[in-house]
Amino acid sequence: MESLNLKLLEVCSKCGACYHICPSCLNLDEGYDPRAVIKDILAGQYEKWLSHKSIWQCLECHHCLEICFQHYGFENAMAAMRTLASKKGLATTQVKRGWDMFIKTSKLGEPAAPARKKLGLPEAAKSGAEDFKKILKIYQERKV
Amino acid sequence: MKDFTVFWGCTIQTRFPFLEKSTRMVLDGFNLPYRDIDGFTCCPEKSLVNNIDHGLWVLTAARNVALLDKAGVDLVSPCTGCVSNLATVNSELHLDNKEKNKVNSILNEIGLEFKGKNKLRHLVPFFHDEVGIPAIKNKLIKPFNGMRIAIHYGCHMIRPSHALKNDDPLDPKKFDNLIRAMGAESVQYMTKLLCCGQGLDRVDQHENALHFARLKLKELKALKVDAMALCCPSCYLQFDNNQFLMEKEGEKFGIPILYFTELLGMAMGYRPEDLGLDSHRIEATDFLEKWQRLNGELAKTTELNRQLEEGFGIAQP
Ligand code: SF4
Ligand code: SF4
Repeated sequence: MESLNLKLLEVCSKCGACYHICPSCLNLDEGYDPRAVIKDILAGQYEKWLSHKSIWQCLECHHCLEICFQHYGFENAMAAMRTLASKKGLATTQVKRGWDMFIKTSKLGEPAAPARKKLGLPEAAKSGAEDFKKILKIYQERKV
Repeated sequence: MKDFTVFWGCTIQTRFPFLEKSTRMVLDGFNLPYRDIDGFTCCPEKSLVNNIDHGLWVLTAARNVALLDKAGVDLVSPCTGCVSNLATVNSELHLDNKEKNKVNSILNEIGLEFKGKNKLRHLVPFFHDEVGIPAIKNKLIKPFNGMRIAIHYGCHMIRPSHALKNDDPLDPKKFDNLIRAMGAESVQYMTKLLCCGQGLDRVDQHENALHFARLKLKELKALKVDAMALCCPSCYLQFDNNQFLMEKEGEKFGIPILYFTELLGMAMGYRPEDLGLDSHRIEATDFLEKWQRLNGELAKTTELNRQLEEGFGIAQP
């Protein structure tokens, strides 16, 4: 996915259509507005947004993606900003915590065994944690 | 019908095992050919993993899909996020051979290959398309005639549509059809397709998450619906748990949040407590009472009609 495609963003700066279908744009009082972020990206001044809570307010509801004639949507610009923020250690506390758990266990939680027993559920299938560890190692080695 | 496995996902198995229970009960009730397979990890959650490392998001999802290729089964999930994530990666790899080869060069090391040959479907469109409305109607013992239910689709049941291809992404109908098939009215409301907003709770913005929950619950309270129906553990968390938290602070909505599988199970005659309804934080007492009462009336009418019909057959003295 081309996340920060300046050519596409150039078109966004003239369009802005998805603002009017975006639930966060329409409902958050403090004013979530990717149009402002996109303007700054195009001007090369996006730095200030990396520590702004706005970039985490995209709900990834994909409404913008559905209506966008470029098949781009605000969400892709916002996701790219979040990746940049994360690289600088600026992800929110819960995101960091979730990420650590995922990397360590391959999941975001383990089946609740006592509750399963009480409900009469069969034992949960085995997770793929071991294989995940292996491919994660190869992936990281190849990345560097 | 082709064999399938159920992708339960982290949230249901960690926090809401009773949703797994009701799902298994309805799948068993229809005698559907499913089996659990070992080896799944987190789908993984897009808003978490993709934000930080797109490549790892793709690789992890591709590994889960490759397990289906190995077992030769389709996938059905009662979680909208899981299906949407897996389907999005599936479609991305089908469009990009280079990336697919890169992923497979790693998966080969653990004896897997991503082919993406099997169907990935959410439980609601699966019931609509594969089980079918007539078969569902045949199973109904205690339908919801007279009940007013508001559907919350959940964004990821229907979007992104290029990957999921299961309903109209801006005007979906399948969940509505199912709720109507169970006898209830699917109440139409302004915020019907509004995102639940639970994602904000995962990025340390609890007040904003509550703000989104409130938008829908307020409207549904004004419309006096009997319940909200959904089929996503994340949306369930948002409307059941966060509604409960708001009620503790004195904001009362009183909207029971019922999972698609719980409604279907109840209509099929299973007992609410066996389906896990007593694990909900928002009680469904009023809903259940009204439903029992209406079913009593329905049974009486049916009995009267039977006697009437019989009357015509009685031989005159
Ligand atoms: S995906 Fe994000 S930016 Fe797009 S409409 Fe939804 S909340 Fe707005
Ligand atoms: S993402 Fe698409 S719909 Fe939104 S402003 Fe850009 S071009 Fe317009």
